[in-house]
Amino acid sequence: MTKNKKKKIVAKFVKISLENWKNFAQVEIPLQRRVFLVGPNASGKSNFLDTFRFLRDLSSPGGGFQEAVNKRGGVSAIRCLAARRNPDIAISVVIGAGKDRPLWEYQLRFHQDSQRRPLVRKEKVVCNGKTILERPDKYDQQDAERLTQTYLEQVNVNRPFRELVEVFQSVQYLHIVPQLVREPDRSIGRTSGPFGGDFLEQIAKTPEKTRNARLRKIQEALCVAVPQLGEIKLWRDERGTPHLHGKYQHWRPKGAWQTEKEFSDGTLRLLGLLWVILAGTGPLLLEEPELSLHPEIVRFLPQIFARIQRRSKRQIIVSTHSPDLLRDEGIGLDEVLLLEPTSEGTDVKTASSFNEIPALLEGGVSLADAIIPKTRPEKLEQLTLFGDF
Amino acid sequence: MSGIVVISAAVEGIVDEAVIRRLFSYMNLELGSVYGKNGKPQLHRSIKGYNNAARFSPWLVLVDLDQDFDCAPLLREEWLPEPGSYMCFRVAVREVEAWLLADYERIASFLRLSRTKVPTDPETLSDPKNTIVNLARQSRRRDIREDMVPRPGSGRAIGPAYSSRLIEFVTSYWRPHVARRHSDSLNRTISCLENLMRRWKARGNCQ
Repeated sequence: MTKNKKKKIVAKFVKISLENWKNFAQVEIPLQRRVFLVGPNASGKSNFLDTFRFLRDLSSPGGGFQEAVNKRGGVSAIRCLAARRNPDIAISVVIGAGKDRPLWEYQLRFHQDSQRRPLVRKEKVVCNGKTILERPDKYDQQDAERLTQTYLEQVNVNRPFRELVEVFQSVQYLHIVPQLVREPDRSIGRTSGPFGGDFLEQIAKTPEKTRNARLRKIQEALCVAVPQLGEIKLWRDERGTPHLHGKYQHWRPKGAWQTEKEFSDGTLRLLGLLWVILAGTGPLLLEEPELSLHPEIVRFLPQIFARIQRRSKRQIIVSTHSPDLLRDEGIGLDEVLLLEPTSEGTDVKTASSFNEIPALLEGGVSLADAIIPKTRPEKLEQLTLFGDF
Repeated sequence: MSGIVVISAAVEGIVDEAVIRRLFSYMNLELGSVYGKNGKPQLHRSIKGYNNAARFSPWLVLVDLDQDFDCAPLLREEWLPEPGSYMCFRVAVREVEAWLLADYERIASFLRLSRTKVPTDPETLSDPKNTIVNLARQSRRRDIREDMVPRPGSGRAIGPAYSSRLIEFVTSYWRPHVARRHSDSLNRTISCLENLMRRWKARGNCQ
């Protein structure tokens, strides 16, 4: 019997262009396999990550265009506040999976009708320079109702570009909230939520062999960061709810078992982070992975990402405020995107586009020290007056 | 247990930390907290503090000579003309990477290349870090090249997982007793630590 194993395609976003998407009036950004987003608070780091989640929502079963827009509060909530003449919102991405795979381009431009319903203005798919879908087409002209959906979400028409749809579907987002891991009831109804509500369920759903192999790897890494943690295993209570058990070593020869409820925030976040980077090959979005972690652990995150990526090739896009993370000397200047708020919306530049940065690095200044001052909010010193009310 | 002397240390970065950890285990010494690790300028700014602390307990400060001075004594003169009683202030010529190259058999096998490609006089190299990157570039293993060599356009001198690769080498393969034969600054560091221990013990203050 021949083994018919489908080879996993690991694609990455090569470029993204946004028009009137939340903070971004008009930007065009090249993307590397590893991306670090830096910028002041409210500059749009999460909103930038949300574009990729939007594309996933468009193409996921149970998702779709109407759902994806409405869950973000409708077209007017998405549209950039700095938008003037052009009321359309547009996202355009280029996706590649290496030299021997096709280069895909997807464009979506949308607006809303008089009843505030999101409507597709334009949808286009290009494969290796050849247009394979361009809407509105003649059917859309006959039936305008069709423009309430994209072709991405329709399995009967998206076959020619299914590869693209699968890449969008494979996008993963993680921003673990330890409280939700401990008390998943708080996030009820939010299955596959990114905040950790179903994190234990996701671990439990993984086939046993894969799960144990991953937990073993995580355990090896965790015992460096949390030396008193000896062993981790999954266990289900009598109601079938999955729990993580960790064995803490102390003066008793057998140690003591604790569940996720007793794990520290840092342990849970690190566990979640290590799990998600091992699980899946789709583009991974991480929101401030440094939270609750010791700075010395944070320093090693870029190296961990790089070594994981060498094996899995998956793209990792990270937002961060952490100088410890940016101190890593192996971070490429083209991997760092600096978000700068202006009166015309947020501008995005790579660290390599600043002339002074290579000069600063050459003189021994770390990338963190070269880039963090650029993300400082203006008039920050006024915060010191806060106590004088 | 009495008699254990804990030495504090300050270094430039995470690779240097791994190097001194390995060195201490080779010398059977106990390493305490490791300070700095935020680059050379930070180490320079804090040197007075470390030196103050070295009046009361043993300290090792390790810094790269780089291209800042022609020789180590000039750097010592500029940075720390009056070292504290229990300060072992050492300068790696010209970078700590030279100490790693000094075990040229092991570095060659780690980087998967012929031993003849590794220079045998590491202290004469002007930029040992760049030498290691260029050696990694010739590695037969793609994973080593991808980890240690910077991508074109990255604007950096080292690859994305250069540091963790070197730490792996230092922890599992590097032999200080071989390297000290080919690196004078490493050999002096080992002697200095031995002296420091003697001085500290002679003080009769072992806790």
